[in-house]
Amino acid sequence: MTMEKRLVLTGNSAAAEAAALCRPDVIAAYPITPQSSVVEHLAQMVYDGDLDAELVQVESEHTAMSVVQGAAVGGGRTFTATSSQGLALMYEPYFRMSTLRLPTVMAIASREMTSPETIWSGQQDAVSVREAGWIQMFCESNQEIVDMIIQGYKISEHPDVCIPVNVCYDGFYSSHSISGVSLPGQADVDAFLPSYSKNYSAILDPNKALALDPMTPGNLLMKYRQNHLASMQNALGVIDQTDQDFAKKFGRSYGGLIEEYRCDDADIVIVTMGSMTGAGKDAIDAARDDGIRAGLIKLRFYRPFPAARMVNALKGKKAFCVMDRSVCFGWDKGSMYVEILAALSASAEKYSYFSAIGGLGGADISLEDFLQLITQLNRIKNTPGEHKTH
Amino acid sequence: MSYIDVIKEREDLVSPGISACAGCGGELVLRKVLQVAGSNTIVAVPPGCMAGAGVIGWNFDSGMKVPVCIPLLDNTASFLSGLSHVYQRKGRGDVNIVAFAGDGASADCGFQSLSGAAERNEKILYICYDNEGYMNTGYQRSSTSSLGSMTSTTPIGSKTAGKQQHQKYMPLIMAMHHIEYCATASPSNMSDLIAKVTKGLEASKNGFAYLHVFSPCPTGWGYDPNLSIEVARQAVRSNLFPLWEMDSAGMRLSYTNRSPVSVAQFAKNIRKFRGLTDDNLASLQALADARYQTICNLAGVS
Amino acid sequence: MMDKRAFRTPVGDEGLYILDTASWRTTRPIMDKSTCINCGLCMAYCPVNAVKWAKDTKFFLTYDYCKGCGICAQECPKNAIMMEKEGEDT
Repeated sequence: MTMEKRLVLTGNSAAAEAAALCRPDVIAAYPITPQSSVVEHLAQMVYDGDLDAELVQVESEHTAMSVVQGAAVGGGRTFTATSSQGLALMYEPYFRMSTLRLPTVMAIASREMTSPETIWSGQQDAVSVREAGWIQMFCESNQEIVDMIIQGYKISEHPDVCIPVNVCYDGFYSSHSISGVSLPGQADVDAFLPSYSKNYSAILDPNKALALDPMTPGNLLMKYRQNHLASMQNALGVIDQTDQDFAKKFGRSYGGLIEEYRCDDADIVIVTMGSMTGAGKDAIDAARDDGIRAGLIKLRFYRPFPAARMVNALKGKKAFCVMDRSVCFGWDKGSMYVEILAALSASAEKYSYFSAIGGLGGADISLEDFLQLITQLNRIKNTPGEHKTH
Repeated sequence: MSYIDVIKEREDLVSPGISACAGCGGELVLRKVLQVAGSNTIVAVPPGCMAGAGVIGWNFDSGMKVPVCIPLLDNTASFLSGLSHVYQRKGRGDVNIVAFAGDGASADCGFQSLSGAAERNEKILYICYDNEGYMNTGYQRSSTSSLGSMTSTTPIGSKTAGKQQHQKYMPLIMAMHHIEYCATASPSNMSDLIAKVTKGLEASKNGFAYLHVFSPCPTGWGYDPNLSIEVARQAVRSNLFPLWEMDSAGMRLSYTNRSPVSVAQFAKNIRKFRGLTDDNLASLQALADARYQTICNLAGVS
Repeated sequence: MMDKRAFRTPVGDEGLYILDTASWRTTRPIMDKSTCINCGLCMAYCPVNAVKWAKDTKFFLTYDYCKGCGICAQECPKNAIMMEKEGEDT
């Protein structure tokens, strides 16, 4: 086991401390609620001389993503963070970061999308950009934020992956909540995460004249996309392997793509993502105390979507409900729900299931909410088919 | 060494055959800039005429003999900021980091990132080749199109003719960012242009350098391709495009215009000005006079 | 060659992309060396850098990429360059 520091940190500070441990060359910083204290924390570290990194204090998120893009093209490890409208503003270089296949980690303190005007929690921001070619994972706890930022670089920079990673956590619920975290030692992180220059050098370098992103006809563009899709699938294995490697070194495992909680003999299952999982687990425990065979699946990675593991985890269950903190316009359902049904395809008909949507715009997803879902699931578990959205 | 010697002896680093129009001011300036910059250079050319002409490349071929990339239309300065930081960090600050961007990518949708990079004093030489419109996409209006200009989005209509507003005077806006070096240049004054590229490259080792280059466009503006240099010359002589430079020592006039030509003289053979009214002309003339006077005042020239 | 490509990050690293811009030309510049004073303005103003220089011949015109814009003829202070119709005997 390793030398860890025990600290009491907000989710944002945890993200910043973890990012610093990964020795980024360039950090682009722009404030937005609820992410601001990530870049404030990093700025303080750089200004105090505790972190040797280029801190670029940019004028927008569009520029933040562009700066890390340029830095990655120059062969540097990079970090930035954002939320909501900031993510929307950076969409243009965001899409390009993944399609140029530039590794990086960006924290998203997720927040509802305006309108109505709001600054509070919701996963609509990150979920809405799920087709932009990034790996996206969602954290439950502050400890998970620390561990996933470190793992995020490992996954992103894996030669079979080479895709940027979003480490998402719920705005305010995680970003501003304080809890105890173990911060790994620098030497251990260094041993876990090889220096960036080991696998990546500058793409643009006067020592080798070439064009980055020349005009490309459709038949070749399709080959680039094909590679990107294949690498996304490679990531499925790399993510699970990285979870195991991390556990060996640091003693903490999260289950990789998904976490299964008391699912083994469960009849009914709730699927969650992010910080709501804590309340969900409490509800499962309470239901178990009442003799209800309930379990929970925490979806950790939304991209790549762990279809096979999700289908496998649901195998043998009678009923499930997917609790989404975002909506899928046009389906009248939650986003994650729609994807899980796609994964199940025809086998869905064996289950009783429904979509639940909650926690938008900072609304709480309470223990009572989950208990209600469990009651509902218990009632319908022997009536296969889709039930009304909750 | 005279400027002729510089361009005579330095290698042309752009592909010899690119599809810029015959007589293109942008191509002329790009080739000269890279001859001055040399091979220890990384170039970013955002979408626009030069990128469209093939200087980035096609398939698996490059359009330049130096590393080149196409940033987004609106992130040239911010993309290069990140690149520059990594090069500084690696101890390779000797590498020239150069942007070659049109007026749309600089004065319009790229303006925010450009202003941000200038304010942060990033170590970049940013060259705006200003052909006063979106030439590559079919000559639409930009914020640097001058008053009365006929463009495909400010046509000569039966009710309204040409652009209804004056152009944004970008170079002075950039100078007010307190950057390391800021200058205007015209291909008609090639010796001055080469000297300013040289100074801009040197300045970019310490901070942000901005060069605003007049870039005449025979296709979009409507004049014979052989007249590109003459059009640029007349723009300078009419005081619509005064030549100056600014650094920590202050502003200097690069071309003292003792006998200005009228704006009417400059405009008369350019088709984009065919809808100019007398009011337009008077307004443009007043603008040119005031612009030159402003620069003289800032340069302390009486 | 295509099979070796990873098709990961799009880069052009195989060679130089060159277009045959000489084929655009409708007129070609002809330099009269007897009038030329070797000032080099034609080189300074040529957008495609088709004007070259050699120790023995000094400034001279090349035609591989010249687009025939006519700037050199327009700007020559000695009128030593004339534009002639492409395809006619020179």
